[in-house]
Amino acid sequence: MNHFMIKQFNGLDDATAQRLHSLGLQVGSSVQAVRFYPFHGPVIIQVDHQKIGIRYRVFKLLTGGKPL
Amino acid sequence: MTTVALLGNPNTGKTTLFNELTDKYAYVGNWTGVTVEKKVGQIRHSHTKVIDLPGVYSLNPITKDESVVTNYLLGHSPDLILNVTNASQLKRNLLLSVEVLELGVPVIITLNMIDDLKRTGHYYNLKTLSTELGCPVRTTNARNKEGLTELKADLVRDQSEIKPNLPLKLNYPLMVNQAIRQAATSLTKDYKVEPKFAHWLAIQYINNNKVVRKYATMHQLKPLLSQKAYYDAQKFDDQIFETRLSFIEKTLASATEQLQSTQHVAITSKIDKVVTHPIFGLPIFVGIFYLMFKLSFDWIGTPLSGYLDGFLSGPISSWANQFLTQAGALPMLRSLIVNGLIAGVGGVLVFIPQIFVLFACITILEDSGYMSRAALVTDRIMEMIGLNGKAFIPLIIGFGCNVTGIMAARTIEQPKERLITTLISPFMSCSARLPIYSLFVAALFPRHQALIVLSLYFLGIVVALFMAKFYHVIFKAKEHSVFIVELPQYHIPRLDIVWHGTWDKGKGFIKKAGTIIFAGTVLIWLLSNFGVRGYVTQIDQSFAANLGQILLPVFKPIGISTWQPISALLTGVLAKEVISSSMMVLFHTSNQTALIAMIGGSFTAISAYALLVFILLYIPCFATIGTIKSETGSAKWAAYSVISSLAISYTLAFLIFQIGSLLM
Amino acid sequence: MGLFVNILILAVIFGFAGYQIYRAVKRSKQGKCAACDYDCEAKKMLNQSKKRAM
Repeated sequence: MNHFMIKQFNGLDDATAQRLHSLGLQVGSSVQAVRFYPFHGPVIIQVDHQKIGIRYRVFKLLTGGKPL
Repeated sequence: MTTVALLGNPNTGKTTLFNELTDKYAYVGNWTGVTVEKKVGQIRHSHTKVIDLPGVYSLNPITKDESVVTNYLLGHSPDLILNVTNASQLKRNLLLSVEVLELGVPVIITLNMIDDLKRTGHYYNLKTLSTELGCPVRTTNARNKEGLTELKADLVRDQSEIKPNLPLKLNYPLMVNQAIRQAATSLTKDYKVEPKFAHWLAIQYINNNKVVRKYATMHQLKPLLSQKAYYDAQKFDDQIFETRLSFIEKTLASATEQLQSTQHVAITSKIDKVVTHPIFGLPIFVGIFYLMFKLSFDWIGTPLSGYLDGFLSGPISSWANQFLTQAGALPMLRSLIVNGLIAGVGGVLVFIPQIFVLFACITILEDSGYMSRAALVTDRIMEMIGLNGKAFIPLIIGFGCNVTGIMAARTIEQPKERLITTLISPFMSCSARLPIYSLFVAALFPRHQALIVLSLYFLGIVVALFMAKFYHVIFKAKEHSVFIVELPQYHIPRLDIVWHGTWDKGKGFIKKAGTIIFAGTVLIWLLSNFGVRGYVTQIDQSFAANLGQILLPVFKPIGISTWQPISALLTGVLAKEVISSSMMVLFHTSNQTALIAMIGGSFTAISAYALLVFILLYIPCFATIGTIKSETGSAKWAAYSVISSLAISYTLAFLIFQIGSLLM
Repeated sequence: MGLFVNILILAVIFGFAGYQIYRAVKRSKQGKCAACDYDCEAKKMLNQSKKRAM
């Protein structure tokens, strides 16, 4: 239900993209959104048995949204 | 002498392993970025030196602390690299391992936290891993000391016994491979770079490693510099990343073995369901802090502190007095020792219980893994002021000591955010300010001690956040902050780690009692016993009184009506604990109860609160000022910090006293 | 004799206090590593290399 596929890294700043790469994320990785915080707060995603907190904006971009 | 470098991702237990392997213990926490500079230790009964490097995700650094690792590898050549990995997150841990293996230095990979992996239901075939990666692979669980003896045996070997590793060669795409080979060959030929190192340097350069690029520019490595535009235009860095990741996925797929799945992950999820709740997460965060202060002030700390005070001011003080009288000491010396040192330094030492309980609580928070959750639940608020939740961690560390808090700010990615965090750190109420709070809350708010102290801590946070927003607007910081936090598995805090952490943070306090607090007390005793006419018996004629009285008009508007606190505040710049010992000396009291009664007589609830707010926010101590200077690299920021905090503290204390007086 | 011992003790206390204040000021000028009370191995090595350089 809360499964998403990473579609792109475009529109992210270099540091964020690099850090996400280092955590093993790439285009095509499937992620599970575990929790959303209110007011577009951070999102907890789960990838390969690890939980990571990222900003909502980054989450939207990764899953194919337009840059905010 | 054999040198072993510990290297790995953040939060893989490197520091715990370092502490178990060497006799020294370093600072351990269950959050990213505990080690911000490298530490060196020695393995017991051996000639092996171990270097604990900060955790990094890759050799291409983003933050200041991460560049320590790359610079270390560029400048030194360890005999052996121990690559510590988190077994249950091997995929991304190996991304770093690949970079290290390409260097061609002997490497041992250890799968640490192996029990976490077993609980997730997999296991890896170590032989397969070892053949694919071309280096020995071990398993350990540093927290339970599993596998350490075997690992130690691998490390204490003599230099000559360590088997050389061949550098790992991945099948990069044809173009990339060609570029690497060409650059490496001409580096070796024209610049006499050692072939293995040249190969690694070329890969790192092509992969857009900022530190390596700087290194190449500095050494004028033309074969690399001339091709820079080509490498970047071809997006070789993306191709390198993809090749590495698919190599790792293939390796792991061939090595994975299934076990039966079990519960530990479920426990972490259950705890997380509560503490990272979207709505209750923040109240729980506040609640945890309330509990910490309740423990430190009401339940454990204060009662113990009372016993200690009774002992110091009773038997010790009167015994010293008798002994000195019998030994024929001058009245001046007797006064210095009994009324100055025992009352003053002792007056600070009695707060050991409170401070240690608070430190134990902070250590438990760090060790359990809650810190990164705190970063998560506070991120939305921090985003509003232009910082991110991760800035909260240095701020919480600042509750122990502002100096370590500012050092921890090195883990923040954006330079402007780091500067802002450094500037607001002194507003965090460090443990040195606790003694003076304790005295005042005991005197004027006996029923709500924990609550009043908590309110001061939160006021500190609020002022810090407000200033952060202000700086954010002033600096026009437009860069998006990088907010990516890992949420590690919870650990049950281990008693010895908690004790070590508490002792590590707390021993500085005890040491300060013998040094700077001692000195400050002597200074204030001198000022309060000498005047323009030399040695005075009436304290009203002393330098301290004169000084305080001159400044009294300035402090009247914030509710201070006697000169003693003013003189005490002046000495507080040496170290904040000195305020308490100075008060002890200036009010000529020998024990805490008497001082509390004196304070109760010369302050009202409002003027006391205004003074506490002033103490919370005014000039940082010398050590903090020095740290701000060195971390920002300019004396201007340090001077700015002194002036701005003085202005803020005065304004707030003024407002609280004036508005409070109107209302009462 | 008694007076001498008294003065000696006073001098030691004042001397030590003065030295500590001097050190605090000096250390704060040097900054981060010196201001930290933890005498870690890296710091020891740094101090040693400084001594050697002199």
